[in-house]
Amino acid sequence: MMVKYESQKIAQHFFTFGVLLFLVQVIVGIIAALQFIWPNFFFLNFNIIRTLHINALVVWLLVGMMGATYYVIPEESDTELWSVPLAKFQFWVTVGTILLVVLGYIWMGINPQANSTRLFGTGILSEGREYIEAPRWADFLIALSAILFLFNNFMTVLKTKKWTGINGTLLAGLTFLVLMYIPGMFYTKSMVKDQFWWWWVVHLWVEGAWEIIAGALLAFMLMKTINAPRYVVERWMYIEVALVLFTGILGTGHHYYWIGTPEYWLWIGGIFSSLEPIPLIVMVWDAFRTTGEYRTVTNKVGLFYAVAHSIFNFVGAGLWGVIHTLPQVNKWTHGTQITTAHGHLAFYGAYVLLVLSMIYVTLPSIRGVKEFSGTRAYQAFWWMTISMIFIVLTITGAGIVQTTLERLVGMEYSAVKMNYNLWFWIFRALFGIGFLIGTAIFVIDFFTLGRTPVEIRYHETASEVT
Amino acid sequence: MSNKSLRNLFIFGSIGCFLIFVVLTFDTMGKIDRRAPQITEEVNLGKKIWHKYDCIGCHTILGNGSYFAPDLTKIVEKKPKEYLKKFLVNPKSVNPKSSMPVLGITADEAEHLISFLEWIAKVDTNGWPPKPILAKASSTSSVEVSAGQKLYNDLNCSACHMINGVGGTIGPDLTHVGSRRTREWILDHFKNPDAYVPGSAMPSYGHLSEKELNDLTDYITSLK
Repeated sequence: MMVKYESQKIAQHFFTFGVLLFLVQVIVGIIAALQFIWPNFFFLNFNIIRTLHINALVVWLLVGMMGATYYVIPEESDTELWSVPLAKFQFWVTVGTILLVVLGYIWMGINPQANSTRLFGTGILSEGREYIEAPRWADFLIALSAILFLFNNFMTVLKTKKWTGINGTLLAGLTFLVLMYIPGMFYTKSMVKDQFWWWWVVHLWVEGAWEIIAGALLAFMLMKTINAPRYVVERWMYIEVALVLFTGILGTGHHYYWIGTPEYWLWIGGIFSSLEPIPLIVMVWDAFRTTGEYRTVTNKVGLFYAVAHSIFNFVGAGLWGVIHTLPQVNKWTHGTQITTAHGHLAFYGAYVLLVLSMIYVTLPSIRGVKEFSGTRAYQAFWWMTISMIFIVLTITGAGIVQTTLERLVGMEYSAVKMNYNLWFWIFRALFGIGFLIGTAIFVIDFFTLGRTPVEIRYHETASEVT
Repeated sequence: MSNKSLRNLFIFGSIGCFLIFVVLTFDTMGKIDRRAPQITEEVNLGKKIWHKYDCIGCHTILGNGSYFAPDLTKIVEKKPKEYLKKFLVNPKSVNPKSSMPVLGITADEAEHLISFLEWIAKVDTNGWPPKPILAKASSTSSVEVSAGQKLYNDLNCSACHMINGVGGTIGPDLTHVGSRRTREWILDHFKNPDAYVPGSAMPSYGHLSEKELNDLTDYITSLK
């Protein structure tokens, strides 16, 4: 397996940075889990640890998607990338910005008063808004990186003007993603408006733009791993991404039930967000149907991860979301651990497995190996997936206890957290260690795949390794 | 349907959905301010302090945020203002069991934050958070309660105190308080808690009428 165009190899830069951040995310996740048991466990407070946990996740998924795009666009457009130096520059701008932001968070954790200084309308170290904590100066650098990234890819397609369904949809999703960063970049005096616009960013990313990118990448992967014909995968892709946006855009309403917005959102959010699992089940059906029909598997591991992604996307984002999306239910569960459980499984299934499957689909050709051993890839998958299922079950259990005791009985938050949910926190932390083991196996596999002589011994095709 | 028509359905259908969403956004923006009290400069300063200390990194507000510490949407209805002021500056001074760190919040900043929290408590949230259904059921039951017990409920004493396992844990458990304290001690303590328990986080209830104080004291003394 070789890359069609040399410039596709730039993807590896992004994957490497992403994989390292993934490891950081899981390690700080375990620290956060332990702080649920011992709040003063670490020298940084929970708010900083959680910020690092979630920001690492968002950034590594984004750079993973960037890497995947740099791989897909040249191949789909039948040409070298417009500019490799620009892609490298964009990569280092991203790395530099992220490192500065992380140092800022740590500094703020040591000295909270350091965030008193304001720059461009936010604190200099943190904006203090969930998920988009990066201060405004960093927003500008992130926006610059995103614009350079989009520009480079659009210019690549324009070189040959070869628009395929996949590269068109992928770039549409990415453009939507970049545009939807803007509603998070201004200050409002009203906390209600603040949260209203904030959901534009958060919801329209993960239940809009990112799902479009997922649809396009799934189509690409089915083509690459089982040689499914283009017209079939693109057909399903259009159906999926259309359904994602038809349900997802107005489905934003499920975040507008209780934040001070008009009552009509209860209806709009309830109806449209209940339909949001439909495109996700179509993706599962698509993956199975296409795999069953075209059986020339060229990359078993890649296919395995891609199909697993479609399943857990549906279970995590779809099922675990729809159970508490109706206002009648959400009134009781909103703001409890039920949301945390949904968040964990949704991000794991929809996006972690998506980026990991893209890595397994593309890395062999980037490294120039025809075949590779899937042993570590499968080990990593089962360690991570089984651990994640149990993490989600423990948090769901904690959420049910919390909803019952705090919301129905009226007990105090702290009493429920420390007395009744303690065992859930302990088990969650233990399964977190299981997840870390899986992650570590994956990281080792990522850095050694196609590079160690051990790989070659597994295969008779070793002579073809270049 | 050909792939091309599916593509067009995706493009134009999505643009259509987005336009509906934009129209609804405009409508909502026009209505939000009417569903909440006016935002004073105090409230705005409080919001900035909220962001400065990244409060949302541990707490939720309007149900959104982290799930590590209590939701603060209605906190000013649950805890007395005097308590909150002391708590924000040094949490453990009024609640030794609290795991909130000392962040360096000044007394002034605490005032602003409380103004912001008072504002948020008055936002019309379509009835969220709901009143605990079982607590509500017990308060509307046909069991007759004494005037003192009614006051205990109305003044929301259970936000901090516990009786028979129901209530908060910040203040002392009152289940058997009648056997520990005399009637006089309890009555005078209501008027000036600090004089009896130095550094007490409990606000004074001296503003109640003599009758109310007596009723409340009768009820508390009866807890043996």
